[in-house]
Amino acid sequence: MSELAFLSPGRASADAAWRSPLERALRGAPAEISDLSLTGKIEIRGDLDAFAEKGAELVRITPTRGLVLCDFTKTVAVLERLRDDFLAIDVSGTLAGLQLRGETLMRRITDLDLDSLPAAGAVAHVQALVLRDGDTFRLFFGQEYSDYLAEVLLDAHEGLSA
Amino acid sequence: MNREREVTFSFCGKPIRAFEGDTFGSALFASGQRVFSRSFKYHRPRGLLCCSGNCPNCMMNVDGVPNVRICAEPVREGASVRQQNVWGSLEHDALSVTDKLGGPFTPVGFYYRTMIRPRWAWPLYEKFLRNVAGLGKLDKHAGRKNRYDVEHRRAEVLVIGGGAAGRQSALANAAVGKQVVLVDEGFVEPLEGVEVVAPGRALGIWEGGLVPVDAGRMLYRYRADHIVVATGTVEQPLVFPGNDLVGVMLPDGVRRLIEDWALKPAEKAVVVTVDEAGREAATALRRAGVEINGVYDLRRERVREIVARGSGGILRSVEIDGRKLTCDLLVMSGGRQPAYSLLSQAGARIEYDPERGVFLPTDIPAGIEAVGTVTGDGLAAAVPAASYNGASGKGKCFVCVCEDVTDKDLKRAIAEGFDSIELAKRYTTVTMGPCQGRLCHVPSIRLYARENEKDEATIGTTTSRPPWAPVTLGLLAGRPHEPAQRTSIHHRHKELGARMMWTGTWRRPHSYGDPEAEFLERLYPNRFGDMKPMRIRYGVLNSDAGRIMDDGTIARLDDETFYVTTTSTGAGAVLEWFEWWNAVWGLDAEIVNVTGGLAAVNIAGPRAREVMRRLTDLDISNEGLGYLDAREAQVAGVPSLILRIGFVGELGYELHFPSPYGEHVWNKILEAGEDFGIRPFGLEPQRILRLEKMHILVGQDTDSESNVLEANMSWIAKLDKDDFVGKWSLEHVRDRGLHDMLVGFVMEDGKVPLEGAQIVLEGTHPIGRITSSRWSPELRRAIGMAWVPTELAEEGKSFLVTVDGGFERATVRLRPFFDPDGERLRS
Repeated sequence: MSELAFLSPGRASADAAWRSPLERALRGAPAEISDLSLTGKIEIRGDLDAFAEKGAELVRITPTRGLVLCDFTKTVAVLERLRDDFLAIDVSGTLAGLQLRGETLMRRITDLDLDSLPAAGAVAHVQALVLRDGDTFRLFFGQEYSDYLAEVLLDAHEGLSA
Repeated sequence: MNREREVTFSFCGKPIRAFEGDTFGSALFASGQRVFSRSFKYHRPRGLLCCSGNCPNCMMNVDGVPNVRICAEPVREGASVRQQNVWGSLEHDALSVTDKLGGPFTPVGFYYRTMIRPRWAWPLYEKFLRNVAGLGKLDKHAGRKNRYDVEHRRAEVLVIGGGAAGRQSALANAAVGKQVVLVDEGFVEPLEGVEVVAPGRALGIWEGGLVPVDAGRMLYRYRADHIVVATGTVEQPLVFPGNDLVGVMLPDGVRRLIEDWALKPAEKAVVVTVDEAGREAATALRRAGVEINGVYDLRRERVREIVARGSGGILRSVEIDGRKLTCDLLVMSGGRQPAYSLLSQAGARIEYDPERGVFLPTDIPAGIEAVGTVTGDGLAAAVPAASYNGASGKGKCFVCVCEDVTDKDLKRAIAEGFDSIELAKRYTTVTMGPCQGRLCHVPSIRLYARENEKDEATIGTTTSRPPWAPVTLGLLAGRPHEPAQRTSIHHRHKELGARMMWTGTWRRPHSYGDPEAEFLERLYPNRFGDMKPMRIRYGVLNSDAGRIMDDGTIARLDDETFYVTTTSTGAGAVLEWFEWWNAVWGLDAEIVNVTGGLAAVNIAGPRAREVMRRLTDLDISNEGLGYLDAREAQVAGVPSLILRIGFVGELGYELHFPSPYGEHVWNKILEAGEDFGIRPFGLEPQRILRLEKMHILVGQDTDSESNVLEANMSWIAKLDKDDFVGKWSLEHVRDRGLHDMLVGFVMEDGKVPLEGAQIVLEGTHPIGRITSSRWSPELRRAIGMAWVPTELAEEGKSFLVTVDGGFERATVRLRPFFDPDGERLRS
């Protein structure tokens, strides 16, 4: 069966230059906004109660679908272990990640209920998975929207002081 | 008001001094300004009326924003306030000629029946009307000078209205631990445990407890679990001749001038009232040193006729039953009407209460509560209204000051047959102005009731629609949030000087799981079950109606795994299509969209293999990786899927690999091919090259009616398969016979026709159209594709095409113009 290796950025040789989709857009961004793209991200499907991977975080999207977040360098190893129990797809290159601080900033870009996170929903009309830890939020979304979403976010941040 | 803090702004270029706590309206009134606007239709002078942001009388342009009600707009240092809707000055407006002479020419609904003949003159009339109609003008060059933001908020309890009842409800809810937000249009003192948003105006109540709140430059979109409506009442004017003169005011406006801004509203006043509000205003006026020249309480005395008279649009006297009283202020109070609009929008029923003479909300839906006077509580019994008769020669008698609708206009509408209040609204525009019926709704219904000899309950009300108050376009628009997709190589393309065009980004749903071969067999008209692993096949996706939806390639990675590509713009629809049929058939195929995760680069040309050899250790000889073969291998150190396909008709490889390495692989390819003269190519050369191969572009060469049989791809439709989506329809097309065919053509004289150009047969009617056309540098001919009748779809037949207003001859070609046998592709 195909390993779908061509989906795994973690399998590239060490001299291949990995580039974050947010690298250019977040140049000079304020401290409240940072890039999380270099995170291992694996979509799993199956019985999520069977998840037992240590050192990786499981975000439940539905009862049978979840996103596993882990250290980027460990992605391939985690992926291989997960394949025993789940249909597991490496989405490390598919999703970009952003971290931001401030509830008001979040409210300017999404109508998701910020007290019921994590949740998947629209952030400035882009489908994203949103996680919360106190006043810090993590967003994971299709990497092709990186420039757009970074632009919206920086603009909203500017608006806070307008 | 804080007299220790001065604020300066300009009014039509003149500096005006104000204090913190002033509004632009109060500061201008203090400076002696009495005329604040000119009316919509007759350009009559208008002055402060309500001082509550309800009426249209004080609308001006503030810092480039038109139609700002300056009576409720707090002063800002350095702001520029300008008059609007005026030819000349507020005091001398040339367009007021419509008031003096325009009567016979501008009756109600005049725009439906005057100025329509002679027909040829309409463009002149239109230009004139557009110039004089409307209120404030938008500055077309303002761009995004003002910033407007949208913020999404939640509230357990949202209280709308900061009057006594609203505040009491907010505090009671806060006391039991609820998260409470109170919104008010004016100023509200802080309340313990309550978040106060003031000034902020609730614009409507939508399903799901959505309440947008206009807070100037910020739109708060509240989602509330429970909504308390405490919007109170709106003071109603009386309808009599001259009721719009500058100096005729509502009691609350007078009270605010005196109490909020310490202003003396006039020297000599007369009060006509149906309730306590007028009497209270009289008391406040006396205290402010204004001489009271008469108080008429209609609860106690019967008045048959009121006529206000003025000069230059300014009130000078009032005649009450023929008795003339000089005054420069006439306070009129026609009672209070509950401001039920938000409740009505939320689904409450509105009923007339004859005892109190007002419309009241009933059957209030769950999750919404009405408190205070908006429910009718505390409203006094109705008093018969004073005269509505605007007798000849006594001046205009306004029912609606926003749209300049008089009693005569409404009577005329009734005479013309517009006897329902909803029709009157549309025909006369009464209640459709900036006040949204606050001041004219009840008076117009009363007039309709009286003229039709019915009661108000029978006349009924008009529908309340959001927004409850006018909103600036900037606030409605908010920030521009229009998602744009970019590939991971986007910036590298820009650096190389590429011009970009919008095509969306490629979507590559990838299907995964046991039943997927059967799944694809059922979705596509061609066969997939017999495909060997690591082979590729072209597929055209059909709708149930047998029409072409999309196309792309399908690579079988192993027995169970297929990798599907689609067109750029059809992507989302294909993914949904797959998921829909997967559910319908219960096949349980796993479909994963991996589009964004992969970058894709096409290396094409006679030396493509030599470039590839420098990038990968894979055996890429024609034997090792033949035409329509797929392989997984490292390319430039990056795990990749290599597809040997050739959309552009040359030996070619598509490389699909993780997006974050987009630029890395791109750069390595250019380096590897440098000494072969490798160059990046964009969509335009790709379009020419594919046209030379007669490869169709879905959406360009096909439309919503095209099917694979007529698109000259009958080889792809395996009608002997058990079933596939659209099979029945394709059989029907086969049985009825083909009408039109998609063919290639070459122009005889070399001129390139426009895409979409018509095809005619010997100068007669159109029989087809051009879908694609380009100049082919390789063939040195103008070539293209076109839909033609089947009888023309034979090699060598010809037709005429419209080019540059004339006709040019084209010859039909059915085989690819370039490399017709695909030798280069397979080399």
